[in-house]
Amino acid sequence: MSFFDFDTSLPKDRGHFASAPGFGQTPDAFAGLGGGAIGDDDAIDFEDTYDGLGDRLDETDDAFNDDTFGGGPASQQTVGRDFDFAGQTSKIANTIHEEQMLFQARQPPSQQKYQQAAGPSKPARTGYESYHDPNYIPQLEARADIWGLKPKQAAPPKQENQAPEPAPAPARKMLSLEEVEAMMRAQSLTQAPPTPAQQTQAPPVPQQQPQSIAHTQAPYPVSQGQFTGPPQILQRPQQQHQARPSSGPRQQVHAELPGHSVQGPPIQHPTILQRQRSAPNDPAIQQHRHAPSQPAAQRPPSQPRQILQNPNRLSGQGQPMAQAGPRGSLPGHSRGPSFPGMVITHPEQLLHLSEEQRAAFLEEDAKRAKRNHKIALLSKDNGLMTPQDKNFITRIQLQQLMAATGNLEEQDPEAALVEDFYYQVFSQIRGAPRQTPHQPANQFAQTYLFQTSNRYGPGRRQGRGADNHMQRMEQQVQRAVEAAKAKPKGKSLVIEGSLGKIAFSNAKTPRPLLNIKRQETEKQSHKSHNSSTADRKATLRNIETVYITLMQMEDHERSLPAPISEDSDPDAIQKHMEWRTKIEALHTKLWQDIKIMEPIVQGSHTPHPFIAILSHAKGKKAIPRIFRHIDEQERITVLTMIVVHLDNLSVVSQAIATPEEPLSPTIREEVELFSHSVMPPLFAHISESPLNIIIGLLGLILDRTNLHVVARTKIGMSFLTMLISRAELLKQSAPEINVGDWENWTELYNRLFDAVETVLPLLFPGTVNDTEDMYVWQFLAAMGVGASPEQQQRLVIGVKDRVMETVSVSKALPPEMAGARLANVNLFMRAIGLDVELLG
Amino acid sequence: MAEADDGAPSSVAEPLDLVRLCIDETVIVKLRGDRELKGRLHAYDSHCNLVLGDAEETIYIPDDDDDESENVRTVKKQSEMIFVRGDSVVLIAPQGGS
Repeated sequence: MSFFDFDTSLPKDRGHFASAPGFGQTPDAFAGLGGGAIGDDDAIDFEDTYDGLGDRLDETDDAFNDDTFGGGPASQQTVGRDFDFAGQTSKIANTIHEEQMLFQARQPPSQQKYQQAAGPSKPARTGYESYHDPNYIPQLEARADIWGLKPKQAAPPKQENQAPEPAPAPARKMLSLEEVEAMMRAQSLTQAPPTPAQQTQAPPVPQQQPQSIAHTQAPYPVSQGQFTGPPQILQRPQQQHQARPSSGPRQQVHAELPGHSVQGPPIQHPTILQRQRSAPNDPAIQQHRHAPSQPAAQRPPSQPRQILQNPNRLSGQGQPMAQAGPRGSLPGHSRGPSFPGMVITHPEQLLHLSEEQRAAFLEEDAKRAKRNHKIALLSKDNGLMTPQDKNFITRIQLQQLMAATGNLEEQDPEAALVEDFYYQVFSQIRGAPRQTPHQPANQFAQTYLFQTSNRYGPGRRQGRGADNHMQRMEQQVQRAVEAAKAKPKGKSLVIEGSLGKIAFSNAKTPRPLLNIKRQETEKQSHKSHNSSTADRKATLRNIETVYITLMQMEDHERSLPAPISEDSDPDAIQKHMEWRTKIEALHTKLWQDIKIMEPIVQGSHTPHPFIAILSHAKGKKAIPRIFRHIDEQERITVLTMIVVHLDNLSVVSQAIATPEEPLSPTIREEVELFSHSVMPPLFAHISESPLNIIIGLLGLILDRTNLHVVARTKIGMSFLTMLISRAELLKQSAPEINVGDWENWTELYNRLFDAVETVLPLLFPGTVNDTEDMYVWQFLAAMGVGASPEQQQRLVIGVKDRVMETVSVSKALPPEMAGARLANVNLFMRAIGLDVELLG
Repeated sequence: MAEADDGAPSSVAEPLDLVRLCIDETVIVKLRGDRELKGRLHAYDSHCNLVLGDAEETIYIPDDDDDESENVRTVKKQSEMIFVRGDSVVLIAPQGGS
């Protein structure tokens, strides 16, 4: 039966264009095209199946089919290409569409209302609005969109055409749906005589119906005559207009197009409309066919409405529609009437068929049923959400988005980009950089509106509910923007009378759940605590700080500007001043960093921070670098600090070696490092110090340190040696100065001697075989130089054993080593006026 | 010098600054592949590439010849100076004490 459907639809479609002026809904006809094309296959099948019934058909005129259709199934290309108006419009169809959507989206609500109000005046109001939707057709075939657009614009002129020429219209049988409906209404209403306007149109209908039936018996020429060429279609209306007023439409038409019935198209219009609508209405059409005498006006008015009610559904399911054909939905087809009844739908008809045909038909039927079932399954949940539901959800999403990004415009573009990259890029691509704060929202809304209207189709949009949604969405966006702007800029707001603060949160700045005030004092106390207890980590940290400062200073030194002279320009002087200021600041910082000014805590278990620094290798290495940057006074301070803590130094306290327990390699390394890095600057300073400094330092050692510990270590002994030798040097160079100081010195020396004498045997770190005893001999020598004869005696007694052993050991050694050992001993011996040779 | 920041430098601002504290100190470095290194940290970078001096490498080799006693055999290697590529470093720990 789809076959019938196909034929009808096609002629109708074409006819539709031909008669376009009368029909505001021209595009509607095309909506059926897709369905018709699909049905084409069925039609062929049907032909095969129904040869037996074909006897009744007058197919003589079918010969023209190929001419008309180009030998193949009508496709949009073969037909559509010829329609100039369509082609023109198509080029800008998309643009027009977009423009329309945007325009609508931008309209203030009031304007939209106006549009709504204006709507009804259009022919589109005839109840076929759904077909007016450009999107309605695209679902079937992409290009159809072009057609859909055209009617919109063309509609008004058409109306005008109709108005001035009421008489011609009836003659042509070109009935707009409005007219048809009007007629139907008129008839249904107590069969009262139609209004004058209707009367003019009404008469032709009854006349034409018979005609159409007559022609349907030889139908093809009629419908296909219009297909022959677009130009003809376009012209036809005009011709009809001219011809009809004067005489009966029928004759005129025949005269113009012999062999073709011009009146085919008018008949088909109603059928086309019906077919597109829905299957249920078909019976009515059939009735028309079978009882052709019935005026078209008698069709139940409900038909158009049914179409309206589910246009989308039908359009979405083009296939089912085509399949519905067999039920009799295809009566519009000119062949339809030739069949006594709805052939296949009735079981009896099957009986008349041959076995093959029946099998084929049953197979077809099964296929169809299968397909229907499939579709039913797929579309099971279709329509679960109404467009209103979807709109509602869209609005909610929109609202949330607005709330989340509401504050965006307050941020600088950079931040916005970071925050919302994809949207920003998207809006950039869409053009229109955001110039006003309002713009993002509006644009956003427009995007949404555009999509939604596309999705649901203008048919919905024109409905009141849908329009409300659009409006409401727009309003909501507006409100959201307003609200975002009204929001206080700060992160929190204190409302009068409330007990707390209200914190605002958005995607950018989430509401802080905890608001803890950091206590400044706490931080400070923590800091001081750290430095006073100077644990290992703190020491390491201090060292790093020292190094950082050192590096800054050294780096800064390289940028020392050229030396200035009296005639230097002010800029150079200025630079120099700045440089000085900076180096001073760094100097001060370095001084603080080495923690040397931290108070000395007597009896504390934790070493002084500065001493702690010295316990690390890198701390030791820093000393010579520090010495380069500090002034004389500070160097004395450093020296004093070290001397005071001499027995606390790791290289002293842990470096007491005994013959039984020699130093560990680590300690030895430390000592070595200390004597190579820390000692030289200190000694350099000592070697230039005046006597009072030496006296002071020696006094500190005697008073504040455990001399037994100091004296038994290489570092401590080196210090003592240095101090004593410096004093001796001073005494020899200028003995007459500062008699008082010398008295002090002698007193200190005696104390030292007394203290050291007790540990003289223990001064040597190792056994006699240990070669590392030079520093001890040096110390003894230094002591011996400054000692009184009586003290020298005691010294000799104290170390006599060691001297004798060393001399005897050296005898067994190779000459070089023996010479070295004896030379060491000789240091001491010569200091007290003796020589190893004497011991020989 | 290159590390000197112009802004107020704080000695510990990021995790690797803790490693910095270990510079010139003896550290224990655990490596992928059941290896450990112990040595003086001379240098490091952001990839945890390390240069260790006087390093002792310990390789733990599970000895599963006998099922009952899964002894771990260790192989030790001594290197005066060693470069450790950072991608094998699992952890760096300062040697306790000292």
